[in-house]
Amino acid sequence: MDTLSDLKMKEYKRSTLNELVDYVTVSRGYLTEQAYPEVVKMVSHNIFRTLPPSDSNEFDPEEDEPTLEASWPHLQLVYEFFIRFLESQEFQPSIAKKYIDQKFVLQLLELFDSEDPRERDYLKTVLHRIYGKFLGLRAFIRKQINNIFLRFVYETEHFNGVAELLEILGSIINGFALPLKAEHKQFLVKVLIPLHTVRSLSLFHAQLAYCIVQFLEKDPTLTEPVIRGLLKFWPKTCSQKEVMFLGELEEILDVIEPTQFVKIQEPLFKQISRCVSSPHFQVAERALYYWNNEYIMSLIEENSSVILPIMFASLYRISKEHWNPAIVALVYNVLKAFMEMNSTLFDELTATYKSDRQREKKKEKEREELWKKLEDLELKRGLRSDGIIPT
Amino acid sequence: KQNLVYLHIDMDAFKLMKELRVNYDQEVHYLPKVTGLVFIESTVRISAKCRDAKVEDLWSLTSFFGYSTQTFVLAVNLLDRFLAMMRIQPKHLSCVSLSCLHMAAKVTEEECNLTPTDELIRIGQCRFTVSDLARMEKIVTEKLNFKSKAVTALTFLHLYHEIALSKETLSLEKLEAQLKACLCRIAFSKAKPSVLALALLRQEIEALQWEDMLEVAYYIQAHLKIANVELMLWSERVAQCLSDYASPECSKPNHRRLQWIVSRRTAQNLHSYRSVPELPTIPEGCWDESESEDSCEDMMSSGEESLSSSLGSDAEGSFFPPHLRRQKQRQYLFA
Repeated sequence: MDTLSDLKMKEYKRSTLNELVDYVTVSRGYLTEQAYPEVVKMVSHNIFRTLPPSDSNEFDPEEDEPTLEASWPHLQLVYEFFIRFLESQEFQPSIAKKYIDQKFVLQLLELFDSEDPRERDYLKTVLHRIYGKFLGLRAFIRKQINNIFLRFVYETEHFNGVAELLEILGSIINGFALPLKAEHKQFLVKVLIPLHTVRSLSLFHAQLAYCIVQFLEKDPTLTEPVIRGLLKFWPKTCSQKEVMFLGELEEILDVIEPTQFVKIQEPLFKQISRCVSSPHFQVAERALYYWNNEYIMSLIEENSSVILPIMFASLYRISKEHWNPAIVALVYNVLKAFMEMNSTLFDELTATYKSDRQREKKKEKEREELWKKLEDLELKRGLRSDGIIPT
Repeated sequence: KQNLVYLHIDMDAFKLMKELRVNYDQEVHYLPKVTGLVFIESTVRISAKCRDAKVEDLWSLTSFFGYSTQTFVLAVNLLDRFLAMMRIQPKHLSCVSLSCLHMAAKVTEEECNLTPTDELIRIGQCRFTVSDLARMEKIVTEKLNFKSKAVTALTFLHLYHEIALSKETLSLEKLEAQLKACLCRIAFSKAKPSVLALALLRQEIEALQWEDMLEVAYYIQAHLKIANVELMLWSERVAQCLSDYASPECSKPNHRRLQWIVSRRTAQNLHSYRSVPELPTIPEGCWDESESEDSCEDMMSSGEESLSSSLGSDAEGSFFPPHLRRQKQRQYLFA
């Protein structure tokens, strides 16, 4: 369709919509029962459409510019109008629910795949209000979001609206009643944690991390499965993702209860020890910066006898071997903190480390001497005048 | 006093004893002026606390750069001797202590293991330059008439350890670590190195409860004519220091002193998750799904199966809690 055609009609439509928006905002007493189906029909006709396929098959949401919706000047007003309709003081869900039903919600959710971020932003608000007002649709909405995410993670790895849906979920999780329902816990473990494995994580990581932390603030006993899940899915080849994981982990540790911390400290610090040794300086830096977090430090102090032995070898090794001087300086800070925390243990570990290193050096020297001896033997053999190789 | 027959005397032991005597005679040349030390302890300017904190920093650096305990002990000796004779401004203490460390390292360490001064300054997070450090080294050298090998408590500790080897093997590393812990307190710089080392040796022997090793300690004490009063005094202080050192209580590291410098990219992303979300919270009602009758029933029949299939068969508990199944009754109540 030619976007420049019929400009006069488009302008007429736009100004009409504008009037509607203003009317809805200021008027009273206009929402009769008859108005509801008309409003919903108008909105449906305007926004429910098959989304155009993306321009190229390899649309990379992280790199490429999104294709914006050409009819946005109209669409925006339709969304604006719908939102004010929903938020109006006179709005009655008991009437509206006849027209805003599961079919409507299903079509709404499909639109979240729009490439236009402005549209997704409006959709986010619309769905948020619908979830809030239509109690009867809540379980259905949650189920559908569940399915979208599962399809996204395990089948397509394509969906543009993950961040927006997660933002809505954040406000829902925030409002969970205690004790948490089993359904919600399942959602955390079976959907939210696996979401971390997706390649395009950077597009929605902030919202995902927020959801996770909200869950843990609601129910701290979920900490262990969450952290074990993150450790299981720890990125092995993508450093950018590793940095994100480290950021999220710090957020989790910021709210962790000491009893929960003790349960996961060993596998946790084994992973941190690996991060600290990473040749990718941003990963190492981010991990080392944990020691500048006062709360985490207090947890480490209480459990230094367990944590120090795990961290010691890597810290010492990279203090000698890392190529990046800034990292070396941070390692010094961490080692100094450990030294002040628990002198005796630190000294013991230093002594063991030194004697291990000396033993290694000795072995290496012996190996070198052995090779030298073999070389000399070979030379002597080669110099025999009669040329006969002795048996 | 003790029956010397029990001590196995051979040429090696004889040599050791001789070496011991020689060092004992020498040690007086390497003692910091006691009046100077006492002044530091009583003053506020460069207080004992400052000195102790700086010595702890020196230990951190020694450890970090892989320098030997020998380097550390020598550095502390130089530092105390210098501080005891010169009144310096607190802002110069960093420079003085680092010079002492570098000087000690040059004596003790192999050249290939020597850390260059710019790296020393960078890691030590100091504010002065490489040339400042070089100048300070010269000043310290002049003031102390610096001779390469000072006689320190470590010298004696090694000798005692070797003597004791004739009977049993003590852990030299442990003794060295304990000496290091003592040297972090200025009070112990007032002790004669031979006495301090002997006090440490006795502590270890008593802790291990090796009765017959005490013979060795007595023998050394007699040989060097160390007064019992002096030895007891320092033994008590050493015991106190070591019990603090070995206590399981962790001391809170002093955070404010260290700089945490990160790259710009990392710093930018540090607080990206702390943003407040825009959407207001939607509270979960107790009877969420039961407000609307008809659509809810549709949901229940279709929803229950598909949900449990997508969530996995090991879903714990029923998806719809029992109270929802009572919703039909509730409707009649309000009808």
